[in-house]
Amino acid sequence: MIEFRNISKVYKMGEVEFVALKGVFITVQKGDFISIMGPSGSGKSTLMNIIGCLDTPSEGSYYLEGKNVSGLTFDQLSTIRNRKVGFVFQNFNLLPYASAYENIELPMLFNGKKGAERKARVNELLEMVGLAPWAKHRPTEMSGGQQQRVAIARALAMDPPIILADEPTGNLDSKSGHEIMEIFSQLWKGGRTILMVTHDPAIAAFSKSTIRLLDGAVQDNGAVH
Amino acid sequence: MRMQLLHLYWNEFRKRQKKTSLITFAIAWGALSLLLLMSFGRGLSNAGSVSFKGLGSTMIMVTRGQTSKPYQGLPRARRIHIHMEDLELLKRQIPGIAMISPEANNSHNISYRGKESNRSVNGVYPCFAEMRSQIPAAGGRFINDLDQEKARRVAFIGWNVAKELFGDSNPVGKEIRIEQTPFTVIGVMKKKQQSSMYQGPDSETVYIPFSTFCQIDFQRFLDRIHIRPADPRDALFMENQVRRVLGRKYRFADDDANAVNFWNTIRDYETGAKIFKGIEIFLSIIGALTLLIGAVGVTNLMYAVVKERTREIGIKMALGARRRHIVMQFFLETFAIFFKGTLWGTLIAFNIVSLVNLVPIGYEDFGIKAYLLRPIFSFDILIVFLVVLCVLVFVSGIFPALRASRQNPIEALRYE
Repeated sequence: MIEFRNISKVYKMGEVEFVALKGVFITVQKGDFISIMGPSGSGKSTLMNIIGCLDTPSEGSYYLEGKNVSGLTFDQLSTIRNRKVGFVFQNFNLLPYASAYENIELPMLFNGKKGAERKARVNELLEMVGLAPWAKHRPTEMSGGQQQRVAIARALAMDPPIILADEPTGNLDSKSGHEIMEIFSQLWKGGRTILMVTHDPAIAAFSKSTIRLLDGAVQDNGAVH
Repeated sequence: MRMQLLHLYWNEFRKRQKKTSLITFAIAWGALSLLLLMSFGRGLSNAGSVSFKGLGSTMIMVTRGQTSKPYQGLPRARRIHIHMEDLELLKRQIPGIAMISPEANNSHNISYRGKESNRSVNGVYPCFAEMRSQIPAAGGRFINDLDQEKARRVAFIGWNVAKELFGDSNPVGKEIRIEQTPFTVIGVMKKKQQSSMYQGPDSETVYIPFSTFCQIDFQRFLDRIHIRPADPRDALFMENQVRRVLGRKYRFADDDANAVNFWNTIRDYETGAKIFKGIEIFLSIIGALTLLIGAVGVTNLMYAVVKERTREIGIKMALGARRRHIVMQFFLETFAIFFKGTLWGTLIAFNIVSLVNLVPIGYEDFGIKAYLLRPIFSFDILIVFLVVLCVLVFVSGIFPALRASRQNPIEALRYE
């Protein structure tokens, strides 16, 4: 499903070059639940960004569902982000001026889904994350756990096969964090492929295997828990 | 573009509307200035052209002169007079004359029931009325062909003459005397604006048929010949033709500019119209510059808005927004600010123009008031305004919007 062939990423900051990833080979099968671990600066976020098509590799090729996505245009990558990938961020990244309902609806608006279809999908998702009564509330009126559940619902709006979560429990207390991980487990059981960056071994324990990164290189590829 | 997306953009815009109120005011102010300057400029231009037409807008007037250079052994400084026979000569020799009328005048005593006045009495042909924009007020008429043919004793009088002799009563049908000869008043001139004249305003003059004039006041020479060319574009050409024909008869050089004198109102009118148009354009440019300052302010604000919302842009990109979704949002916000501002500006401008037009101005105090107090808010002004506006909206909106859409999604997401 996801295949990295010798992916490298180099950032240039003026004269200085910073190597975020060097020669990474990874393969993720459909239905995997993988946590990505490693110290700060080890390239976890860069890896996630490239998988999510938010960033492009400096070298190497990235195959998503058998298709080489390196070298696609911004708008083509936008379409992939919209249909194939659902993002869940550490700091939720909800739109402050939009209600929970509108936030969940947003990915479908960029895709041009019909009104009735959108409405049914948003309500279904609100139900699923247990926030149906909160549809009209703004993010600022919700707790962290609730906001992250809205974010998960939003990530699922277009029914993408892949969920990318970057420290999804990092800003939550352990109880809310646990609830969020329960949702991820449900999603995985439902057949989705999940990749999750985390520091926390207790959270990583929810996943089925782990990729360990150090200084932009893979240390331990796919150790099964 | 989905309606729901527009709805979302609108909500996001509304939340920060307070921040945009000052710039909306600047746009309103700019739109107001541009519209008012264009309307007042047009009014000025219009007043100018109306008063030019007071004399007659397509007419060449020929008067006597003096040669300014020797010709065929004849000395310079010979007086050249024009005669009644010249009228037929010109008609015969110059094609394209639509109308031609002699004019001779003299000062005479005019009286009605003991009221007396000394006025210029002018003998003219019926077509004089049209060439010189003399329209009879309701209930009266100008001299006609039969009056001329039968040398009737009829008079068409200027409105000031009428006021002086008759006060507020209707002069038509009444009998006045020019010296001791009785004349019937057949019409009073309708009031008009007149900024150029050659022997006093038309309002102070009495017009009688040329044939009648010859009976009461024998003159050897004509004072003027008025000619209207069939095609106004021939004005200059016709002037030269007249000079050539008269030059052959009275023996002066074709290029002697002073032998006979011309007043070419067509040329005057065109020159005047160009000057006024120039002023109008100049005023419009000043107005457009005022609006431009507002537009620069909008661009500035939009750059700040893009910066402030960098993170939201990143979120939208992560969720699959294409470049056009981002461009459209910021472009529409620019449009919304302009729309609100210009709506106010236009409403205020329209009301000011309407109110100013209510200020009464009489024909008697024709002058600065007529130029300043009759602004015109016309359709073509609106078109020019909208074109200027569209250009400004596009130019001030597109650059911030493009900057927003060209952000790197990762950096945008990281932006605090």
